[in-house]
Amino acid sequence: MTRLLSTTAFRWSFAIALWSALLSLILFAFIFWQTTTLELAENDDVIEKQLAYVAAEPDQAKSRIEGWLGGGIQSDRFAGYFAPDGAWLAGNITELPKALPRDGSVHVLDSAVAVAGGETRSDLRSAALRHADGHVIVVAISPEDIERAEAVILQTLGLALIPMTILSVIGGLLLAARARRKLVATEGAVAAVMQGDLRQRLPVGTGRDEFDRLTIDVNTMLDRIEVLVDEVRSVGDAIAHDLRTPLTRLRARLERSRDEARTVADMQQAIDRSLVWLDQCLALITAILRIGEIEHGRRRAAFGPVDLAHSIAEVAEVYDPLAEEKGVRIVRAIEPDLPPVTGDRELLFEAIANLVDNAVKFTPQGGRVRLSLRRQGQELVLGLEDSGPGIAPGERARVFQRFYRAEPARHSVGNGLGLSLVAAIVTLHDFRIAVSDAVPTGCRITLTCPTIIPARPELLDRARELPQARISTDVPS
Amino acid sequence: MDGAAEKGADDGMGRLLLIEDDAETAEDVLGDLRGRGHQVDWAATGPEGREAALAGGWHVIVLDRMLPGCDGLAVLRALRQGGDRTPALLLSALSDVDERIRGLRAGGDDYLTKPFALGELAARIEALLRRPVEAPETLLRVGTLELDLITGTGRRGQRGLDLLPREWKLLDYLMRRPGQVVTRAMLFEEVWNYRFVPKSNLIDVHVGRLRRKLEAGGEPPLIHSVRGLGFSLVADD
Repeated sequence: MTRLLSTTAFRWSFAIALWSALLSLILFAFIFWQTTTLELAENDDVIEKQLAYVAAEPDQAKSRIEGWLGGGIQSDRFAGYFAPDGAWLAGNITELPKALPRDGSVHVLDSAVAVAGGETRSDLRSAALRHADGHVIVVAISPEDIERAEAVILQTLGLALIPMTILSVIGGLLLAARARRKLVATEGAVAAVMQGDLRQRLPVGTGRDEFDRLTIDVNTMLDRIEVLVDEVRSVGDAIAHDLRTPLTRLRARLERSRDEARTVADMQQAIDRSLVWLDQCLALITAILRIGEIEHGRRRAAFGPVDLAHSIAEVAEVYDPLAEEKGVRIVRAIEPDLPPVTGDRELLFEAIANLVDNAVKFTPQGGRVRLSLRRQGQELVLGLEDSGPGIAPGERARVFQRFYRAEPARHSVGNGLGLSLVAAIVTLHDFRIAVSDAVPTGCRITLTCPTIIPARPELLDRARELPQARISTDVPS
Repeated sequence: MDGAAEKGADDGMGRLLLIEDDAETAEDVLGDLRGRGHQVDWAATGPEGREAALAGGWHVIVLDRMLPGCDGLAVLRALRQGGDRTPALLLSALSDVDERIRGLRAGGDDYLTKPFALGELAARIEALLRRPVEAPETLLRVGTLELDLITGTGRRGQRGLDLLPREWKLLDYLMRRPGQVVTRAMLFEEVWNYRFVPKSNLIDVHVGRLRRKLEAGGEPPLIHSVRGLGFSLVADD
């Protein structure tokens, strides 16, 4: 119970109960004030009308007073009829109240008024009027009835307030307990995650309320975190491994040359060899930093309209001689008049170049690499097919992971970062990449690029601000 | 820039100012550049560097992007605001492309990311020291090699050359910098207009093809490889 009392849900329900009680009180006070004011006004109206009625006919004043008093049945009614010298003539007010102005309107007297039976009343609301001949008429009503009504109203409202407060508190407690039950299960799972067990997931309820939706979101987040942490873990291992090999060689070579080199030429040769291995290590580190930089989306500043057809043509042109030396043909199939995409022309060039580099590397002599670009609705589809060995379906999702090398590539040159760099660039641009089989053999990589990005209008704005020089194309000759 | 400074750059040697806070790096860079015949002064902090830079008389200023006491970009801006157009090369550990753009906007003429090869730095400094042959030239000639920029024809001695557009651009770039070492990265930046380090030996293949065309008649080589660094077009006469 103490735990329940300390929960936010309980505090909220208690606060809401207090708040609704306070609102009811204000409402009650308003009703009470309105009612009593109205009653008093009606009361005074009756007094003034009666006074006018009695005074209208001086001859019938006595009988009208008797009629008004009803022979004592109306215990809250009072009246008196006095001679010009102040002597009592009729009614149950036995003495003329001196302080009462004879102006026909209602007053509450501070001094007591003597009434029949030797009593005095000090709470009467009374009015008096003097005739031209000096006779004075007094009419008064005791507010007892009103006071009684007031008491009843107060009692009723007070009685209603108690169950209302109790009901709000109970309702709040029920809601708090319900939220609490949901939270307890979640807390357990979260505690396990905090202990480092990233495979834990929060229990999802059957409902579709905000809480369930939040739980599903948190679970999706945990899925992603688990993948990322695994990736970081394996990347860490892979980096260490990939750095250790050249560094081990470097160390051995330096140690040996220090002892064995006899001439400057020997020494220079050893140092040159060492520099190559050192450059490998640096290239690996630079590649990792670049991927990190791109993944963090810090490169969007250079975004602008990019003519993909031109980028493809340039990549193909750069790789033509290399492919030719290997006996591989690079075939282009680019639709004319395609719209530009929004992106970083250098990064897109790098991504396409990496893909083509891979394709040329894995295509055997006499094979071909086919680059295509066509429009599909609002998107451009870049296709890259090679006639190499292809990628097994089970490995396709993993080729874009850092350091992953499909089995045929395991022993070839490269640090296994090329495709993860491509993946990072693709993600930065909100493009999609997919791997499938090419016909008849080989691998097909499809890059789908939206030509308009309605979800990120600020990118287009930023692209427009860029100096034109960055988006101009340098067509050779 | 005074007259003496202008003149000193013609032989490819120059008075250089290095503003770099890391003493180890500075020592290696100084040693290398002095070994190549340059006269180099070193400033280790931003304020010191700014004072030296503003004093003038340099052919090229090499400055680190991040300096103690004062940002490298601030030094550069102070220099440019004073109307000094001395070529400046920025060194930085930040490879972010935005950083590079910022550096060039502040008035930098080139930008090199750490870690770099000393040869790369020297080649870029040399490129800044020796202004390339200006464009209005209608005929480029290096030894027996000629490019007619009006007719778009090239000749090696009496033999006509059949060049692809990119080969033309590559040769044009090399011929405007005769005898100068041009690195692979510089070629990719200037001829292809991409800052990108290709994984395969792409540049070598392109240069190799151009070289074969230039030597198809059995002539002596014009484009020489500079080991571990790049290429140099050297006149054959």
